[in-house]
Amino acid sequence: MTLLTLPSTRQEAFRWTDVDGIAAAASLPRADAGPADAFWLDLPGDRLLFVDGELHASSRLGRAELAEVAASDHPLGSRASGRGWRLALSADAVADPVQVVHLSTGGDNHLAAEILLADDAVGTVVETYAGRGWANRFARLTLGKAARLQRAVRLLQDEGFASTRDEAELGTGASLVQIALGAGGAGSRIDAQVVAGEGAFAEFGGALLTRGTQKQECAVAVRHAEPNGQSRQYWRAVAADQSAASLAARVEVARHAQKTDGEQSLRGILLKRTATVNLKPELEIFADDVKCAHGATVGELDERALFYMQSRGVPRARAQAILTRAFVADAIERIGNEVVADAFMADADAWLERAL
Amino acid sequence: MLQIDNLHAEIDGKPILKGLTLSVSAGEVHAIMGPNGAGKSTLGYVLGGRPGYEVTDGSVTFDGRDLLGMEPHERAAAGLFLGFQYPVEIPGVSNVQFLRESLNAQRASRDEKPLSGGEFLKLARAEAAKLDINAEMLKRPVNVGFSGGEKKRNEMVQMGIIDPKLAILDETDSGLDIDALRIVGEGINRVMRRPDKAVVLITHYERLLEYVAPDFVHVLVDGRVVRSGDIELARELEREGYGAVSA
Repeated sequence: MTLLTLPSTRQEAFRWTDVDGIAAAASLPRADAGPADAFWLDLPGDRLLFVDGELHASSRLGRAELAEVAASDHPLGSRASGRGWRLALSADAVADPVQVVHLSTGGDNHLAAEILLADDAVGTVVETYAGRGWANRFARLTLGKAARLQRAVRLLQDEGFASTRDEAELGTGASLVQIALGAGGAGSRIDAQVVAGEGAFAEFGGALLTRGTQKQECAVAVRHAEPNGQSRQYWRAVAADQSAASLAARVEVARHAQKTDGEQSLRGILLKRTATVNLKPELEIFADDVKCAHGATVGELDERALFYMQSRGVPRARAQAILTRAFVADAIERIGNEVVADAFMADADAWLERAL
Repeated sequence: MLQIDNLHAEIDGKPILKGLTLSVSAGEVHAIMGPNGAGKSTLGYVLGGRPGYEVTDGSVTFDGRDLLGMEPHERAAAGLFLGFQYPVEIPGVSNVQFLRESLNAQRASRDEKPLSGGEFLKLARAEAAKLDINAEMLKRPVNVGFSGGEKKRNEMVQMGIIDPKLAILDETDSGLDIDALRIVGEGINRVMRRPDKAVVLITHYERLLEYVAPDFVHVLVDGRVVRSGDIELARELEREGYGAVSA
């Protein structure tokens, strides 16, 4: 693999991407990544373990299967197009959650996925990235009329890079709630394009926690192609040390997508003044009868709140942890499944313990 | 209990306290009154240890210990409670969590066992009920969406739960209606009117002092105590204003 084939930071869509980090991740030598056991949540349903992109024999497949996935033309997503896994659910399916663990041992690996929800189908997918190296993923999500998909993705790789590209299409009245947590030691890019149909609901958000010299970013666009859609993009970034977290979120409203209700909130906290948080909120609205609230702020923890807690007996470091946790929980608690939300908060807590 | 000697403090290089001396013994309630800008709130913050308030001269001891050498949370653990004029809103942190963290942090620093969730809730509900605060409010984020009066009553709930030795109450009466004033006044008496405790009540007005009868009233002007007396001094201030009394 050569650098020349990766996107350039001169392209606006990749201006904050850690391209050097991707190259470095791909050249990490292979090493034992340890067992995947700790990453399974106590949930019924399928368990898919991919080690360096290959399905491991210990996997438990019920609804999910291996399949070919139609290609993407995205610069990173296209590398992962083709061979992958598929989850197709119909309305009468028992909607047990599907867990996927992506364990990497070094070098680079690429894998595609397709999630197809028929009209009125309901699905839950939880994905975990662990290990080292460059894990590159592409997923095509297609939701039929009134279908509902909850997807939670946590990036816990110790080192290297994880890049995901999702392309989602939501049918009339469909609902996608996808929440990501970046709480490992690796770089990342969460890249997505969501197209929402009439009356569809698209929530795409999460929390990126960075430390050391780590760089993580999201680049998510939600396009309201039809009227009466709703979207929510709540992203939180916490940056420690010399790290950088970048949040780029975009809402597009097509000319006839009237009564669209969009909300976008990008917020960052710097735990050290040497850290960086980049925010790029974008709205592109062609319809005239829409509501699109948006807010973007970066700052340090509220000194007044810190002192208030200290004055009640809470040591400063603990007060910082409590305030940072509340900030992160704001995004993570939007995960509907309690087991998943609790596990993600525990990962965030472990990160906070280490960073503060 | 509290001994303040010749205290000088400044904010951003601007002197605010200019040689303040005050002695508070156990069992006493002291009221500090004074015009805007006299340094009343600064005194509270300096005693609480708020960053940005620099002590340039003088000393403060609390139960014989050097208060100014202690971190804010250590002051709290030693028994000091600072009631805020403007209680801070903390989105995402519930009152219950905030109070339990506070109480258990203080207990830990005194080598006492932390209270369990159940024990704590029982205590919190009892204290809240005494101040007309319902249990639902305890679950809400700290002070978020509370009215001015609710915030002040919430301060008193915290004081009741923490049960401090010395309370510095910074304009706890401002923003309260007549009923809330009475409830807060009774709260202060109930929690703090003990032979082993003391209160420093910072206030603009004499109203609260009718509920919490102070043993001493001090007038603070331009960073110094210019007059001391009893409740009669407060009434005189109410009648004649600070100009006449401190001249």
